[in-house]
Amino acid sequence: MSAVVGEHEQFMDGPLSDGLPSFVAAAHELKSPLALIRQLSLMLEDSDINSSEQQRMLRQISLTSERALRLTSDLTRSIRLSDALFTLEPIDPQQLCKGIINDLAPLFDVHNREIKLVSRKHPLLLIANRDLLRRIIINFSDNALRYTESNNAIKINVAQLNSGNVVRLGVRDYGPSLSSDVLKSLATKIMGGTPFAIDARPQSSGLGLYIASQFADRMNGKIGVIRHHDGSTFFVDLQASRQLSLL
Amino acid sequence: MSVQKVLIVEDDEWLVEQYMRVLSSAGYNVVSVSNALSAIQAIDDFQPDAIILDMLLTGSTALALLHELQSYGDTGIIPIILCTNIANEISLKNLRPYGVMQIIDKTKMKPDDLTVALRSVLP
Repeated sequence: MSAVVGEHEQFMDGPLSDGLPSFVAAAHELKSPLALIRQLSLMLEDSDINSSEQQRMLRQISLTSERALRLTSDLTRSIRLSDALFTLEPIDPQQLCKGIINDLAPLFDVHNREIKLVSRKHPLLLIANRDLLRRIIINFSDNALRYTESNNAIKINVAQLNSGNVVRLGVRDYGPSLSSDVLKSLATKIMGGTPFAIDARPQSSGLGLYIASQFADRMNGKIGVIRHHDGSTFFVDLQASRQLSLL
Repeated sequence: MSVQKVLIVEDDEWLVEQYMRVLSSAGYNVVSVSNALSAIQAIDDFQPDAIILDMLLTGSTALALLHELQSYGDTGIIPIILCTNIANEISLKNLRPYGVMQIIDKTKMKPDDLTVALRSVLP
């Protein structure tokens, strides 16, 4: 198992992936959902399709639109990061993740996939901006949904690191494993100043991860990835809150 | 005439559903896989008459699969229709030696384009 961690400022202002400027990466990322929506709409217009199939297609259209809108909303948010103040507050990550799982349930249901939170006995608190952290975890979860090939449930895990000073939220998927070459290139790109595309997951331009790294940076955190033999864990590390220890 | 068999190699499962809808109603026998490795196995097992291939596949890229298919006499003759979001970045002329007979732009295609393309490459 290997991991790489990156800091956003190391690849700020650089091309997003393979020399692509950011707007090209964004356009590329939006092509897939828009092309699917278009196909489904054309099919609904022209064909005799039974009502249950129509309902399924309409559901797919609305969920695919939501995914595209999430991306545009994240992109807008990331561009305006420097203009806004972001309140950092103590957050219970377990509660936050439960809410996210609840919100993503319809999307996962339609894909016949499951996402669950690995439960913890002892509660943890971290310092973050609720909106930005939520966007990061949704981004990781959406990525996991798209690339998980097996029936294993995608798992969100909350853990303490660094003698309790850091809280890690990780989303474990069961997609194509990142090769050691890709992981090495990922590390080089992160450290060397260029955002990364995941070569084993070519539909991704790396835009989602780039945005997630910007959000993490705003909260003094870092994102990273751990390679497993049967998938990956994308994680965000954030500063732990001491509030619980004062009780 | 026996039912013609089509293998879809595409990793977007809802797009696969859509292709299946179109091709099944047109009378084709359709099987789908989501990556290049599974495609090789499926080609052996299913012996398709044509392959509809996504260019940006999860795992190995479509190009690796095209190379692999050209390595064998029996698989090298299967007509391939490339269905991709990056149609404007690739050239049919360059891909013809790899068995690619048509390129369909996913961002412009109509549902019937798949059957039209299949009719043009299959006897």
